[in-house]
Amino acid sequence: MNALQKGIDASAMEAPPGTGTEAGARRYRFGPEFIGFSGHFPGNPILPAIVQIRAVVSLAEAEGGKALALAAVRSAKFLAPIRPDEDVWIRYRRRVDSGLEICDATLSVAGKTVAAIQLELAAGETPR
Amino acid sequence: MRLVDTLVSVNDGCAVAESVLPRSAIMADGEGKIDEVAFVELIAQSYAAFRGYMDRMSGKPPVEGFLVGVRDLAVAGRAYAGDRLLTSIRTVAAIGGFAVVEGAVTRGDETLASGTLKLWLVDPAAGGDDR
Repeated sequence: MNALQKGIDASAMEAPPGTGTEAGARRYRFGPEFIGFSGHFPGNPILPAIVQIRAVVSLAEAEGGKALALAAVRSAKFLAPIRPDEDVWIRYRRRVDSGLEICDATLSVAGKTVAAIQLELAAGETPR
Repeated sequence: MRLVDTLVSVNDGCAVAESVLPRSAIMADGEGKIDEVAFVELIAQSYAAFRGYMDRMSGKPPVEGFLVGVRDLAVAGRAYAGDRLLTSIRTVAAIGGFAVVEGAVTRGDETLASGTLKLWLVDPAAGGDDR
């Protein structure tokens, strides 16, 4: 596991009390010390788009209990910046389309969708 | 999280940038395997290097760029720490404050990833970053 993935996993929060854990959903809070903010950008920290994509893959891995490889980003739209210490909900749904494993995800902050991502995932790793 | 080392060539809206990621990179695991999301960042940073170079040659201050979209980025292979990666970018559209960029990351003759990015470029004189 790389340092970025460790940082993402460490930023996952418990579900809020009384809400319960929603399948295919998880709350994250990326603190100002989160490694992904390093240099992005000095004095103007914004959660990098690739961290958002990686977080979706990590969530799918955690739910499925197995390592996944990113095979494709079919589409991704980043609609608003995510700042340090904001509560970020990632909700996703996995499905199989023509034999390909597809993951549709949204990221939201304070009820507002800030990113919509559709990924193609593959089991294990892409051989070198 | 700078991934691009050198802007190798620039020509008519196209550019090639070189990267060699160290084992200590935050997207490299203990075996030196590079996370696939790095390919997105390599294309984005290669365009940023190109754009910064062009601005500098024109005597303009560099703009800030934000990745706002990815389309059909396919991963065909894996990169490892120490690989010499070349990222080719081509500007396919530049409208208002937005640029659409096609990019591909290669190692030798092997294409590891390719796809299209949309970036929002902010004139530093205008200020603000709300999308």
